[in-house]
Amino acid sequence: MSETTLVEAVRLALARAMAEDETVLILGEDVGIDGGVFRATDGLMSRFGADRVMDTPLSESLFAGLAVGLGAQGFRPVVEYQFMGFIYPAVDQIVNHAGRLRNRTRGRLSCPMVIRAPYGGGIHAPEHHSESMEALFAHIPGIRVVIPSSPARAYGLLLAAIRDPDPVVFLEPKRIYRAPKEEVADDGVAAPLDLCFVVREGRDVTLVTWGAMIVETLAAADTLAAEGVEAEVIDVAALKPLDMATILSSVERTGRCVIVHEAPLSGGVGAEIAAGLADRGLVNLLAPVQRVAGYDTVMPLPRLETYYMPTEERILRTVRRVLAYA
Amino acid sequence: MSTFKLPDLGEGLQDAEIVTWHVGAGDHVVADQPLVSVETDKAVVEIPSPQSGRIARLLGEPGDIVKIGSPLVEFETAAQPDTGTVVGVIATEAEPKPAAAKPAAAVPTGKARAKATPAVRALAKRLGVDLSHVAASGPDGAIVATDVERAAAAIAAAGPLEPLRGVRRAMAINMERAHAEVVPATVTEEADIHDWPAGSDVTLRLIRAIAAGCKAEPALNAWYLGRDRGRRLHAKIDLGIAMDTEDGLFVPVLRDVGGRDAKDLRHGLERMKTDVRARSIPVEELRGQTLTLSNFGMFAGRHAALVVLPPQVAILGAGRIAERAVAYEGQAAVRRVLPLSLTFDHRAVMGGEAARFLAAVVADLEQSK
Amino acid sequence: MTQVASFTIEHTQFLDPQGRRTQTPPAFAQDPQALIGLYKAMVLTRTFDAKAVALQRTGRLGTYASSLGQEAVPVGAAAAMRAEDVFLPSFREQGAQILRGVQMVEILLYWGGDERGSDFAGPREDFPICVPVGTHAPHAVGVARAFQLRGEARVAVCIFGDGATSRGDVYEAMNFAGVHRLPVVFVVNNNQWAISVPRTRQTAAETLAQKAVAAGIPGVQVDGNDVIAVRHVVAAAIERARADKGPTLVEALTYRLSDHTTADDAGRYRDDAEVSAHWKEEPIARLRQHLSDTGHWTKAEEEALITDCAARIEAAASEYLATPPLPPTAMFDHLYAVLPAALAEQRAELEEATEP
Repeated sequence: MSETTLVEAVRLALARAMAEDETVLILGEDVGIDGGVFRATDGLMSRFGADRVMDTPLSESLFAGLAVGLGAQGFRPVVEYQFMGFIYPAVDQIVNHAGRLRNRTRGRLSCPMVIRAPYGGGIHAPEHHSESMEALFAHIPGIRVVIPSSPARAYGLLLAAIRDPDPVVFLEPKRIYRAPKEEVADDGVAAPLDLCFVVREGRDVTLVTWGAMIVETLAAADTLAAEGVEAEVIDVAALKPLDMATILSSVERTGRCVIVHEAPLSGGVGAEIAAGLADRGLVNLLAPVQRVAGYDTVMPLPRLETYYMPTEERILRTVRRVLAYA
Repeated sequence: MSTFKLPDLGEGLQDAEIVTWHVGAGDHVVADQPLVSVETDKAVVEIPSPQSGRIARLLGEPGDIVKIGSPLVEFETAAQPDTGTVVGVIATEAEPKPAAAKPAAAVPTGKARAKATPAVRALAKRLGVDLSHVAASGPDGAIVATDVERAAAAIAAAGPLEPLRGVRRAMAINMERAHAEVVPATVTEEADIHDWPAGSDVTLRLIRAIAAGCKAEPALNAWYLGRDRGRRLHAKIDLGIAMDTEDGLFVPVLRDVGGRDAKDLRHGLERMKTDVRARSIPVEELRGQTLTLSNFGMFAGRHAALVVLPPQVAILGAGRIAERAVAYEGQAAVRRVLPLSLTFDHRAVMGGEAARFLAAVVADLEQSK
Repeated sequence: MTQVASFTIEHTQFLDPQGRRTQTPPAFAQDPQALIGLYKAMVLTRTFDAKAVALQRTGRLGTYASSLGQEAVPVGAAAAMRAEDVFLPSFREQGAQILRGVQMVEILLYWGGDERGSDFAGPREDFPICVPVGTHAPHAVGVARAFQLRGEARVAVCIFGDGATSRGDVYEAMNFAGVHRLPVVFVVNNNQWAISVPRTRQTAAETLAQKAVAAGIPGVQVDGNDVIAVRHVVAAAIERARADKGPTLVEALTYRLSDHTTADDAGRYRDDAEVSAHWKEEPIARLRQHLSDTGHWTKAEEEALITDCAARIEAAASEYLATPPLPPTAMFDHLYAVLPAALAEQRAELEEATEP
């Protein structure tokens, strides 16, 4: 095993899935010869052939529908959308067909497809390349939404997503594509698709997050530890269906919850988690549930980008406010 | 309503059998659209619609023999109502809706609830702490767990909650009632009693002084009934004399203090004290005060704003007799002084009346005998 | 200036509106039984439509889209397909679905609002009705790509309307199919109306067939009310696809003689006189006239057909009306392959609330 980046882990998972199951296909713009603009599919076309790793024309709507047709015929298409900003034409096919096909045919036809896209800000990219709209997908019935936050989890979750018989939207936080690295065992073992991961244990406050925000959240946890406050950090990973049980059991112990997400505050998945806490965990709360999130603005261009993204400082301020409720 | 009759099908045919309808009631049809297939000897023939319109009724069933010229189809003449949609059915209102509800005006709330999170509330309940008595130290005025724990510790240190009974309970009830009704005001004075002979009975002197006060200002010896806004001036003075005992506050009544001599009063007073201590005072003797004296100064205290017990309108408080540096005949001197506090119900007694009463009390007390 | 490209669109017809031959019929049409089969399929379709409309009018079926006047397009196309091919309809191709083995009761269940209507007992790989216009063209391309990857001699046939050809999805699908030479046939069931928008206001293109030119695939036009022509032209396109020669766009010209749906009132936007004129070109009368003129269809056969259709449709309607709805919790069935724990509670709540 060697130190692997998140995007390398994605590639490892794709390669493993394609090797073990010949129905797995990769489609997208520039995924073949170019190996994907982030190199997520680098080398796969020469290894598995152009039939299975297909460069598509510039038709975002088409390749989602293509995946529906292929999925209904028993293939497992993994479609790459170059950036989340370009994924929106696919929403028609995801809402109207992918999420519905099994249900409306009573199981006769189904859609075991994965839609992958890099998402999120922090790489000083031009407009439209930095947003986080995972909440749009988390609202759609009949699909899964998965966001890895580390190379090892990216490997395990992507394998699970490809093997899953239902449509999965797999969003890759590109800010942490290349760092941090960690050891990833290419052992073909899938991670569970319906559980949160407790990445740090603590008894004083529960910090809930996903994607690249894990970096700031863990940094905040370290700072708090130096002040004698032990934070429990949960990586949600599977935003839909949501594993509220893990979050509730943590908050039952800590009594305090701060949710951190890059996506805009209003209507974000943090709101769903807060509602779940109010529903089942209210009597355990020592303080109000707080969210540290992006503002409800259009993602700013790079000059102001750092002011938009939640920082360790904002997280700490919020945690301290919550702790004041003793 | 217009009726379409089976047209002449030629070949000398008189009638035809309906084989199948191609349209139904409610359908919009156009001219030349096949309405029905009928059977003749030679063929199955489609009969086209003569006009555009809406079918109201079909006048025959498959298998019926219809004569040439008989009514076959009725067309609607009324216009079709617009469904206003291209899918599904959208319900329409039969009657106009009632006027939209006005937005709710801000409802004034009563006393604000204590702010505490559910976990803190649960803690308070477990520890038997009433949140309305807990000081909040958390953000935004919230009570935090440590506040509750502090309150619980204080309660534990204070001992168990002792429910009031008997006389103490009665006092609590009476004082609550007094507070709710009475509008108290207090005026104070000091009587120079330096020249009293030794062995003077302070209580008897006070009783005599009160009688003098009532004579000067009868308004203080009255009952005020707030509900009726009515005042009853009493001719006799039935003086309540406040007595603290181990069992609680008793206010037995010395009747008609204005009409009895000192010896009689002394005798009555002694008997009253004995009966109170022995808890054998009959209940009638605890009722009917027209005015009250509180000699609290026997222990400590100079002036006090006491509680007027309705329907009375006044209570005179006598503080502790003490030597005081005063101005006496233009010179500084040390004299023995009796502090006085008159609390009156300002619904029924004016300040001037109170002051005159008090002045008369002081004047009587300042007589050497 | 030199001309670097040009295009031609050819139109095919074998029978005129009066049922007379306009050219030598194709081989299959020499066999009267083949034509009678097409005729019977069209009559069954029209009779079924009438029954469905009648059920809707009496409150026993939801909104329904009739194919009155358009029966030849789906019937002709489906007749050209093999059982192992896959069909992707829009919402007005019940004639094709029935011919391919979808039960009439299933179609009634679908429009009656029951998901079981799309769980076809017959053609297990055919797609269900597609409501978002044109979004099934990409599916057809996916299906065709699956056949290509597996090396199967199967073809995907996708039918959509004239309105759909304005959709980006339809162009994207044709374009992709062209690049990869996929075994798919796109048929435009051009009934001249997209609800209230007439064909002339749908696009400036003179024909819809020529939209294929932009995608680099063949585009042809056919008289959509001549079932012989439809069958012939679609069969040729299917054979091209099966022989790995790539996709074709077939524009079938027909006319929507009914309202868009049972909730629509076409009288609001189109002239009854225009509709009357098109009744003279309708596909069933045309073929009947031809069969009758060539001595291959008798009154007795007509009566027998009418009776048979009525009986089959009555049976389907009765079965539909006698089918009780699914239990409320069925909405959780087949939502995922395995219902996630997070949803099990919602399901349980519904079950409790709706316990009889």
